Amino acid sequence: MESSITMDILDKIFTLLIFPGGLFLLILGLAYEWVDRKLLAQLQNRIGPRWFQPLADVIKLLAKEEVIPEGVNPWLFIGLPIIALAGSLTAALYTPLVGLPPSHSFPGDLIVTVYLLSLLTLCMGLAGSNTLDRFSLMGATRTLTQLFSYEAPFMLSLLGPAIVVGSWRIADITSYTENHWLLLSQPIGFLVALIGLIGKLEMPPLDAPEAETEIVAGAMTEYSGRGYALFRLAKGAELVVGLTLVASFYMGGMANPLLFLLKTLLLLLVMVGLQTLITRLRIDQTVGLWWRYGTLLVLVQWLGMIIWKGVAS
Amino acid sequence: MESKRQDERFIIPIGPQHPALKEPAHFRITVDGEIITNAVVRLGYAHRGIEKATESRNWVQNIYLVERICGICSHIHATAYCLGVERLAGVEVPPRAQTLRVLVAELERIHSHLLWLGVAAHEAGFDTLFMYSWRDRETVMDLLENVSGNRVNYSVNLLGGVKIDIDNQISDTIREGLAFLEERTLHYLDVVSNDMAFLQRTRGIGVLTRSQADVLGCVGPVARASNVPRDVRVEAPYGAYQQYPVNIVLVEKGDLEARFIVRLKELLESYRIIREILDTLPPGELTTRMPRRIKEGETISRVEAPRGELFYFIKSNGTDTPERVKVRTPTICNMLSVLKLAVGHQLADLPMILAGIDPCFSCNDRVAIIDHRRKSPEIWTWQDLRQYGIEYYNGHSR
Repeated sequence: MESSITMDILDKIFTLLIFPGGLFLLILGLAYEWVDRKLLAQLQNRIGPRWFQPLADVIKLLAKEEVIPEGVNPWLFIGLPIIALAGSLTAALYTPLVGLPPSHSFPGDLIVTVYLLSLLTLCMGLAGSNTLDRFSLMGATRTLTQLFSYEAPFMLSLLGPAIVVGSWRIADITSYTENHWLLLSQPIGFLVALIGLIGKLEMPPLDAPEAETEIVAGAMTEYSGRGYALFRLAKGAELVVGLTLVASFYMGGMANPLLFLLKTLLLLLVMVGLQTLITRLRIDQTVGLWWRYGTLLVLVQWLGMIIWKGVAS
Repeated sequence: MESKRQDERFIIPIGPQHPALKEPAHFRITVDGEIITNAVVRLGYAHRGIEKATESRNWVQNIYLVERICGICSHIHATAYCLGVERLAGVEVPPRAQTLRVLVAELERIHSHLLWLGVAAHEAGFDTLFMYSWRDRETVMDLLENVSGNRVNYSVNLLGGVKIDIDNQISDTIREGLAFLEERTLHYLDVVSNDMAFLQRTRGIGVLTRSQADVLGCVGPVARASNVPRDVRVEAPYGAYQQYPVNIVLVEKGDLEARFIVRLKELLESYRIIREILDTLPPGELTTRMPRRIKEGETISRVEAPRGELFYFIKSNGTDTPERVKVRTPTICNMLSVLKLAVGHQLADLPMILAGIDPCFSCNDRVAIIDHRRKSPEIWTWQDLRQYGIEYYNGHSR
């Protein structure tokens, strides 16, 4: 009796800290960041970083002195990166990482996951507004503007599969999509989800919130050491979680780990292609893109789905 | 750090150190949300006292000094200086030397315009074009090294001629390089005039009308993109440009897209001129004798630098050093247009508008400091100026 409780606790700790949460996710995030940087460099006729470069960057940043600028609330300044990372890591617990069933699951966990994913952007916006730095303030405004523009369509595009399945539970949806490639029946939702992910992670071409030629590093300008490292780790984790969600919803659900990793890498390749080919959008163009095209198209697809469901039943 | 709001205005400082600026300059951008309502520039961070320094060096030494005013258009500075001094001395440069000067000047224009293409694309957040155009720029850098032995300060000019010569082997290498560059330039022309995402950032942005360009005194590609026919190579052909006439490139629209198209079409024009020069290079001497002391007198010398009209005023008092050398670079002429155009645009467009004039602040910042607290600043020596600089920075470092 005693030992089974101990085993249970050990199992929980392992799940949270080593696999699939915690350490594994962080390492996978760094690996994906490297793939992204390397591919981008190769497509731009550069050599690109060595395989351990993202890890080396993080170690260097963690070792650096963290300068807390004057005029900020130090608790918020230190706390926000931690909350951001915690949000991304928690979201991972409800997603089918590397094609394995999610370690935690309850009805409605899709909504919770989507909100946990937004926590990073929210924290970055708050971190920017927390300082007096003018580049940070400008970046924070843009970060939050961008949040309001992609969040609705991104969420709608993830809810599309949920409507088809009739469940808000990620595990249910993925077991349905195992036999149905929704990419074929809901192409618009797939595209919006993928581009929404680019916007979420502020990658080019939707990187207006941290456009270095205008506002240096946007909301992150005042972050130097540990805080910046944590934000970067959170971004890496969010990249993995986001790709996992899109791949499992739209590209044939859960599969064996190797195949699943290949699928997410394929998605990453598409994202890198977009990064290479497209010029950075101004923030007003980003908002226009989402509200003029993204949201409308997803809504049209929704309408089609609902009508089709009604007719079918 | 006090609150950044002053009189309810939100001012973004661009520079003196900023990722968008490769050289130091300071812009105070007042914004209302994302819209720029006012723009103020403060120049002078790269002031090096070169004009004053020329007065304590002899005529020959000064070639190497003026060549270092700008790292990108070094040859054209030396050419303007040499043309002026040769006119003062009444010396006629042999035709082969004049033609070789034009050859290097056009190669330099190619290198400068390709560099600009990359920088401007980077400001727009289109790093792929940046990386590719800079890769292709290496071709022309190699050609320049082949011709002169140097990649940056070519040091081609002498008073009374040039110190380089080209043979058949070098001209074949140049032709090969040009063939590659021409193909790439046509591709970039296609990209900047057809890529929809890029056009969103350039078409209709920063429109400078013809009358504005006239009133603000814009020069070079900026003026030509607004349909102002202003090109010293055409208006007042100097050196070998009389034998190799230039077709002026004009575009009507005056927006950022037009500035891209003008510069890229000028590249094609440069390729044509260089090919013509290689085909019909006149034989003969490379140098002629120059007197050590230059006759008393003063002259002006105008040439077309890659960024626009470059102006030299040179005054001699009959000794072996100049009495005064005054340089006016194209950036200072075009700077006003940036401040004028920025207002009403979005902050995101500012780096592009600024890059659109191809600013070169090191060229710019040679205006002599006149300190009213000191007596008779005109008689400062180079040592005085240096001492002043040391005292100034000691006083400000606290």
